[in-house]
Amino acid sequence: MSIRDRLARTAAVEGAAVTVAFIVMVVVFAVSSPFFLTGQNLHNLFVESVFTVLLAAGMTYVIIVGGIDLSVGSVLGLSAGMTLMTASKGAPLLVAILVGVATGLVVGLVNGLLIAHLGVNAFIVTLATLSIGGGALNVLTTRVELTGVDSTAFTNLSQGSVLGIPAPVLMTLAVVLLLEFVLIATPFGRRIFAAGINDSAAHLAGVNLRRLRLQVYVLSGVVAGFAGVLLAAHLNSVQPDLGTGFELTAIAAAVIGGVSLSGGQGSVWRAVVGAFFLTTLSQGLQLLGVDPTWFTIVTGVSIVAAIAFSRGTQWFASSLRPAAPRPSAPAAEAAEPTHAVNR
Amino acid sequence: MSGTNRSTPVASQLSGVLSSTSSGAIAILILVCVLATSQSSSFLSLDNGFNIASQMVFVLLLALGTTIVLITGGIDLSVGSVMGLTAGVVAYLVSQGLPLGVAMLAAVAVGALLGLVNGLIITKLGLPDFIATLAMLGVARGLLFLWTEGTPFIGYMSKPYYVIGGLERPFGYLTIPIMVAMVATFAVFAVLKYTAFGRHCYGVGSSSDAARRSGVRVPRIRVLAYVVSGLLAGVAGVLLAGQTTAVAPDLGSGYELQAIAAAIIGGAALSGGRGHALGAVMGTLILAATANAMNISGVSAVWQPVVVGFVLLLSVILDRLTEKQRGRSAHLPSAPAVATAH
Repeated sequence: MSIRDRLARTAAVEGAAVTVAFIVMVVVFAVSSPFFLTGQNLHNLFVESVFTVLLAAGMTYVIIVGGIDLSVGSVLGLSAGMTLMTASKGAPLLVAILVGVATGLVVGLVNGLLIAHLGVNAFIVTLATLSIGGGALNVLTTRVELTGVDSTAFTNLSQGSVLGIPAPVLMTLAVVLLLEFVLIATPFGRRIFAAGINDSAAHLAGVNLRRLRLQVYVLSGVVAGFAGVLLAAHLNSVQPDLGTGFELTAIAAAVIGGVSLSGGQGSVWRAVVGAFFLTTLSQGLQLLGVDPTWFTIVTGVSIVAAIAFSRGTQWFASSLRPAAPRPSAPAAEAAEPTHAVNR
Repeated sequence: MSGTNRSTPVASQLSGVLSSTSSGAIAILILVCVLATSQSSSFLSLDNGFNIASQMVFVLLLALGTTIVLITGGIDLSVGSVMGLTAGVVAYLVSQGLPLGVAMLAAVAVGALLGLVNGLIITKLGLPDFIATLAMLGVARGLLFLWTEGTPFIGYMSKPYYVIGGLERPFGYLTIPIMVAMVATFAVFAVLKYTAFGRHCYGVGSSSDAARRSGVRVPRIRVLAYVVSGLLAGVAGVLLAGQTTAVAPDLGSGYELQAIAAAIIGGAALSGGRGHALGAVMGTLILAATANAMNISGVSAVWQPVVVGFVLLLSVILDRLTEKQRGRSAHLPSAPAVATAH
């Protein structure tokens, strides 16, 4: 195999370009700031990125099935509020966690029922629940004092560590690995790809689309609810506008990682790379002492640059090998699940 | 159904508009009016009607642009930020001593230019619409923050600008913003219904492949749709700067979602090929009337997002239910859109 072929093959791997862009960014930050690669900074970076990572991982399922979930930002905030309220009333840790996760479950269930069973547009339903959830947190903060839980068990959710690895990072890693495994190695995951690529074909192949979509929105809600639990433990206080804007960051993360908004394409780890890309960018800029007002501009430009770069690499890869048809790996991957569903 | 009633052209046209403006929206509007009137008799007064009209102007201008973009199958998340930035352009240029007219033209041009950038990034670089305009949302917002250095632009108001912003009313109830919004609605209505560009928008949104095969320059139509959307955001920004008398760094945040919600309540679809100007008016009216009704009946501000969310849900659910009902009698639920496209 010639170098040219190797290069083409590597560049054609979906997500390779973003991973490369991510590594380049890390190198740039590491060279320009001596503090970037210190243990303390990496610790902060990982702990602070778990929320975006979790939301993006759940969002990946929704986007692959061909939908969108704008409500996750509000679910994150509301679930954090509910968790903190329960914990500050002296409830056991497990109950507080369950309340937070259940908050996400309820919102996800509402989203899923309306989208899957009534066929209402996903963007509008989740925009409405975004508004309702955000408003509910606002109401909650005016009714209940939500500051500080004095319980080591609760704060250990955020500050504890196992073998030097922070607890939230470990838990997030477990969730991400589980989600990736389910997506690529179970019939459920294959059905999600099948429905995202061609829902009527999936339907003819026997996929229960309603149930599948319901499950996916519930999953996204539950994951966002869990992220809210971790956020409550991390901040140990809740502002009325907590979680605002997280939905767009999560979607951007997934798309930067190469999850296609038209559905049927993507993987959890790619979305996680995208989430790390965004959180590392903002943290690195902060470390370099860049004025925070530049952040939204730099983030916006780098989102465009990252995707354009990965598009360019794909194009470059296909132009290197004109003989072979453009390798559409996800489509080929997806052809299998359709068969699998068919049997 | 537009097909069943052919007695008079006007009646059939009206029923066509009504059936495509989503009956859910109309039901919700009636419900809001009844509830608000039962709370306070002043809701249905002429004064309050114009109150609502002047509150809805800005979202309406954005919703009109959003409707065009949605028809072509795109989405524009940047309109709120672009509106804020163009308001900043007027405020800054006027305070630098430029004539108001020049500053206003410059602001509208900036809006159109940012729309052009959106369109080119989407068509030339092939980025998803959602992501390109999300990035523009961040960039435009960041630019306004940098430019204002975090403190609002003030001191740019002049006598004519009070009139343009609608704070002074030389013509009775009709303010300049309301008139501009009416003209814009009429223009978008006419463009969508009677021009080749309008028909091409529906064509591109229904099937870009079919449109391309029949000779429509698809990328050009899509870019133009974003330019129009940016331009309308620029117009809204000019008016908004006049009404707020200060341009805060976060002016216009969140407006993009309201504009999209309004367009969708009004019958536009994210899948493209559907939507019209009167629908955008209807959708905006529902949002504005709901907000106004809550203020009048003394609903606390913290509850308002919750209520708005429920209104949005209710209107799409009702719409969906009636569409299902209609789908049983006829198998073409999107018949009005198809009819407009050809």
